[in-house]
Amino acid sequence: MSALTTIAALTMREALRRRLIAALAVICLALVGLSSWGFYRLSHGSSMTSGEVNGALPTAFILFMFMFSFIAALSASAIASPSVSTEIESGVLQAVVTRPVRRRDVILGKWLGLAVILAVYTVVVVGLQVAVVRAVSGFMPPQPVTAAAYLFGEGAVLLTLVLLLSTRLSALAAGVAGVALFGIAWLAGVVGGLGEAFNIPALHTASQVSQYIVPTDGLWHGAIFYLEPASYLSLQLSEAGDRGSPFFAAAAPSWGYLAWAGVWFVLVLALSVASFERREL
Amino acid sequence: MSPASSAEPQAAPHAGQDAGPQAGARPGPHGDGGPQGPPSPAVHAVELRKHYRRTVALAGLSMTVGRGEVFGFLGPNGAGKTTAVKLLLGLSRPTSGEAMVLGAPAGDRETRRQIGYLPELFRFQSWLTAREVLTLHGRLLGLARSRQAAAAADALDTVGLAGRGDDKVGTFSKGMQQRLGLGVALLGEPALVILDEPTSALDPVGRHQVRAVIRGLRDRGATVFLNTHLLEEAEHVCDRVTVINKGRCLATGTLSELRGRQSSVRLRVTGLSDRWWQTLTAGGRWSAEGDWVRGQDLPPGQIPDLVAAVVARGGRVEAVVPEQASLEASFLKLLGES
Repeated sequence: MSALTTIAALTMREALRRRLIAALAVICLALVGLSSWGFYRLSHGSSMTSGEVNGALPTAFILFMFMFSFIAALSASAIASPSVSTEIESGVLQAVVTRPVRRRDVILGKWLGLAVILAVYTVVVVGLQVAVVRAVSGFMPPQPVTAAAYLFGEGAVLLTLVLLLSTRLSALAAGVAGVALFGIAWLAGVVGGLGEAFNIPALHTASQVSQYIVPTDGLWHGAIFYLEPASYLSLQLSEAGDRGSPFFAAAAPSWGYLAWAGVWFVLVLALSVASFERREL
Repeated sequence: MSPASSAEPQAAPHAGQDAGPQAGARPGPHGDGGPQGPPSPAVHAVELRKHYRRTVALAGLSMTVGRGEVFGFLGPNGAGKTTAVKLLLGLSRPTSGEAMVLGAPAGDRETRRQIGYLPELFRFQSWLTAREVLTLHGRLLGLARSRQAAAAADALDTVGLAGRGDDKVGTFSKGMQQRLGLGVALLGEPALVILDEPTSALDPVGRHQVRAVIRGLRDRGATVFLNTHLLEEAEHVCDRVTVINKGRCLATGTLSELRGRQSSVRLRVTGLSDRWWQTLTAGGRWSAEGDWVRGQDLPPGQIPDLVAAVVARGGRVEAVVPEQASLEASFLKLLGES
């Protein structure tokens, strides 16, 4: 087992031992249970027509997915923020990096461990939610696997960013900064949509820039797109167009944007490694 | 990022590689100086300086620690001891100067395989058991999987935690965590063990056990670098010590050298006139203390001659109490001078 995989396994074991995964599981099971009741009521016994129900189900599904993505982002920020700074402050990392391991393996191992936790969370939550909603309402999003991949990407962006901040800032500062950036990026997406709808190019440009700096919102819109059935998509476009709703996506992210997201991960991870290697302990 | 700016120093050049103009002057990596040369020192520091903005933590520290020595690194709190240890381990970069550890640049990754380190802040993952902490470090050290469990058990036994191996570290007292830290430092039979204040949290029994561990390390030929402000600790186990203060080396030598060659004596003499000592030619400083007379700063080996001189003058020597300056007195004197 290499130092990188040893650190990754240690990170995952810590999440299990500290009952982080148990807490996430309880919250998500409760939310999936709540959503199953809501979807059942929506599809059975509501006063809406079948057409209205068919329009409401994807919207409700996307809203629940947003909630799960928000929990994932907050959790990613919470678990990544102390992963370096707190261990430096407590002296735990000094004992590790004086072993014959590369500092980059410590950072990449921690990132890998946290990313695996996030991936498991995403797969379980999306899988459960899709299965339960299909069972109680018959609604099935068109491409749940692709959507789950985008949701994972969104959480991984925040995780990676907070890990970078954690190499220099305290756990509290890194966590708060990470969540604030996530919120700002989401708001920038809304503002950009409004700028497009009301033809204000400056707002649209600002939104585009923010989507490149912190690609959480861009990836979230990718997830939305793959949760929208074709009938729902055409209905929304014909009725309202893309008016900057944070819960609607008219198109999938471009390949260029996805390539940038990949570059972004590499750049931020490289910065994290460089920052930790240069840090005096 | 350039290698020179990294806090993680790069590996020493290996044989056949271009090591620059100083290559011939340096001993081989991790090494013993090659087949012809003498073993490289365990630690060799030249003019190490470390500044934190305006604060000078180390102001040109030079020292050499031989292989197999138990070396005491003494100094008051804030003297720069831990800073020096961090530089030797590659946790920090020197502002200037150079340090070689086991023949390789300080912090060299492969050399760290041969170094055991007990940090001053000995914290381990509180959610792991003591055995899991040791196994983790065995894995990071690169011990074969088949050896990890046995190495962990041996370390637990050595530091007196054999019955607590499966307890969570979070339930341990500070002293038990320090014992665990010592066990971690002993994993893999390191050639150099750096102990930063290893007994600060231990009771007298624990301190006694740590001394036994240090003597055991010396017996198997390992070098021990003992960073401490406890003089008693150094007196018990160290072959040689360096005293530092304000980031500067004040003195280096064996304990007896540090105490000073000059000695003192207390005498009780009858049958001679008052202030009889003024007729002696032994030198030193003399003073009366009731029935006793004290001679200080006497040249080495003077006491027998002194007694003979008193007897030759017709005096009766009722009692002779030789006194050697304590390490503490020498230490305080050095700090006062600094």
